[in-house]
Amino acid sequence: MGREVAESCVDGVVMEMVAAYCGRFYASKPELAARRIEAIGFQVGHQLTERYTMERPRFSDHLEAIKFICKDFWSELFKKQIDNLKTNHRGTFVLQDNHFRWLTRVSIDPSVESIDANENDSTSLGDSAAQTTSMLLYFPCGIIRGALTNLGIACSVTADMSNLPACSFVVRIKT
Amino acid sequence: MVVCVAVVGHQNNPLYLQSFTEADDALKLHHVVHCSLDVIDERVNNPKRNSPALNETFLGLLYPTENYKVYGYLTNTKAKFIMVTTDLDVKDADARNFFRKFHAAYVDAVSNPFHVPGKKIASRSFSARVSTIVRSFSSGTTA
Repeated sequence: MGREVAESCVDGVVMEMVAAYCGRFYASKPELAARRIEAIGFQVGHQLTERYTMERPRFSDHLEAIKFICKDFWSELFKKQIDNLKTNHRGTFVLQDNHFRWLTRVSIDPSVESIDANENDSTSLGDSAAQTTSMLLYFPCGIIRGALTNLGIACSVTADMSNLPACSFVVRIKT
Repeated sequence: MVVCVAVVGHQNNPLYLQSFTEADDALKLHHVVHCSLDVIDERVNNPKRNSPALNETFLGLLYPTENYKVYGYLTNTKAKFIMVTTDLDVKDADARNFFRKFHAAYVDAVSNPFHVPGKKIASRSFSARVSTIVRSFSSGTTA
């Protein structure tokens, strides 16, 4: 039984959640907000893997689990696969998505923009944009970490968004 | 007839244990369930090389005792499902089918946002669903 959710609703929920945590609950403590958002993602990923791995044989090694994340898990979430997977064969994997759905419709709040424009400082505008998008990426990072942890792989996940809307997730497996 | 089902977490912590007998033998059944954990470990760590389904979730008959047969199932997330039955001629396909339904119920139970991972499953609807699955399995094999 598959249930679907309109993409715009998911986009809305994710953005609103990030905005609520960053702007309202932990406005003064961005690190704490990031941790909370990551924890929500962790739980989501944890529960989703339980469902998505139901009909498949068990994974024999880490690479197979990562491949599952790249292909099936990503298709279920974003209707596309990860575009590029790199690994150094020593426990670090880079998952690159050239068109990450949750970032394609992101725009900077015009009120923030105008404040920055008044200050006439283009670097601060870039900074706040980067900060907002990086906040948005804590959620998918948490999802990946939750998914892998549930598959028995302890790891840390960070996101890198040097050229939007492409972004890459760096998975470091703890040994 | 299925006399006992159990869900055991990835650290061999019991998540759900339910027996379906009138008699007062719950302790004995729990003992059977816990003994089977060793068999599961052994199966998973030393898989038979020639077996066709190397990493299949359904582990098949774990071991027979005098009165019971114990079947096991290991999910990708290392949760173990154990089923103890008194039927002596259970078809593998039936057991597989049973576990598939059981797994679906488990997934729905742990997807509850109020369920804490690693804690016992206290959901009443999960219990009800498991009872239904157990009953349909029992009636299916005897009919």
